[in-house]
Amino acid sequence: MTTTEHNPAADELLAIRCQLGEPAAFDDLIARWHAPLWSFVRRLVGSDDAAQEIFQDVWIRVIRSMPQLRDGTRLRAWLFGITRRTVMDHLRQEYARAPPVDLDVDEIAAEASAEDAADLEVLERALVGLPIIEREVLTLFYLQELSLNEVAEALKVPLGTVKSRLFRAKRLLRQAMAARGVQP
Amino acid sequence: MTNHLPPPALIEDLRRLTGAELSGPARMGYLGLLLAASMMTAIVIALLLTEPSLPPRTSIALGVMVAIGLSWMGFAAWVLTRRRILLGHHRVVAGRMAAAFSGVFCAGSLAVGYATSNRSAMAAAVLGGVMVLIAAAILIRASRDVERLSKRRDELERQLGLRV
Repeated sequence: MTTTEHNPAADELLAIRCQLGEPAAFDDLIARWHAPLWSFVRRLVGSDDAAQEIFQDVWIRVIRSMPQLRDGTRLRAWLFGITRRTVMDHLRQEYARAPPVDLDVDEIAAEASAEDAADLEVLERALVGLPIIEREVLTLFYLQELSLNEVAEALKVPLGTVKSRLFRAKRLLRQAMAARGVQP
Repeated sequence: MTNHLPPPALIEDLRRLTGAELSGPARMGYLGLLLAASMMTAIVIALLLTEPSLPPRTSIALGVMVAIGLSWMGFAAWVLTRRRILLGHHRVVAGRMAAAFSGVFCAGSLAVGYATSNRSAMAAAVLGGVMVLIAAAILIRASRDVERLSKRRDELERQLGLRV
């Protein structure tokens, strides 16, 4: 799992240095945030190749949107919000090209190989098989350890919606895990 | 949980990308385009306003030139705010350049206007004055933003123990 210790003051400093246009600031921003953002994109899209294509777009948007960041202490939620919107834009284009596929929990479970060595591996596979809305909320809250308020800000939805999505996501994940014979 | 580590070359790719996005020459090129288009448009507008006896076809041609100049100004402004963005220090430099060029343009037009009693040159000087005011406003705002951000940066560096 890739998480970055939450330090609002350090994030604000980094954001301000970027907004000032300090030459090394964006290198520091990349050094601090590329791994968690990559992990988030990778989990949402499910493959390295697709993630790599999207990831460059994420950083272009981050650079171009930097002057619009009003509160540097919220850098973390802001970055995940941009990342999420970029992924969604790409997926929207993909879905527009490809015929829709119905997802159900049994189907997701059947995709797992019988030789899954560890429960954690099964959890990862079950997570990747969940619909994107549930996957992103679980990833942000449990894997990236954003607070509920930060998740709401990143997803641009009310707090209540985050809670209901989390509830539904946990239920779907439990069902997918149970269908694979793993007790969540 | 499986680790999703980024490919090793990714950071270098991102740094290259950032360098290209923030490259100075491209940004200054668009700033130059904005200033040149502004001055050309100001001169043509001054001609249109002060030469009522121009043949209709000439007036139409000048109107088209004004439209072209405004389009280039809009394009350059769009690039500088959406694509090759100007960050704090860049905005101050851009504001200084805009103020300097507008000042020279205004003073030059005024000098020509006085020397030749040319009404078009005087009108261009008035428009140049408006450009100086706009450039000064941009410069003042950019300087205040940089001052506020620098102050906050210093506070945070002290708070985080990065500065004594």
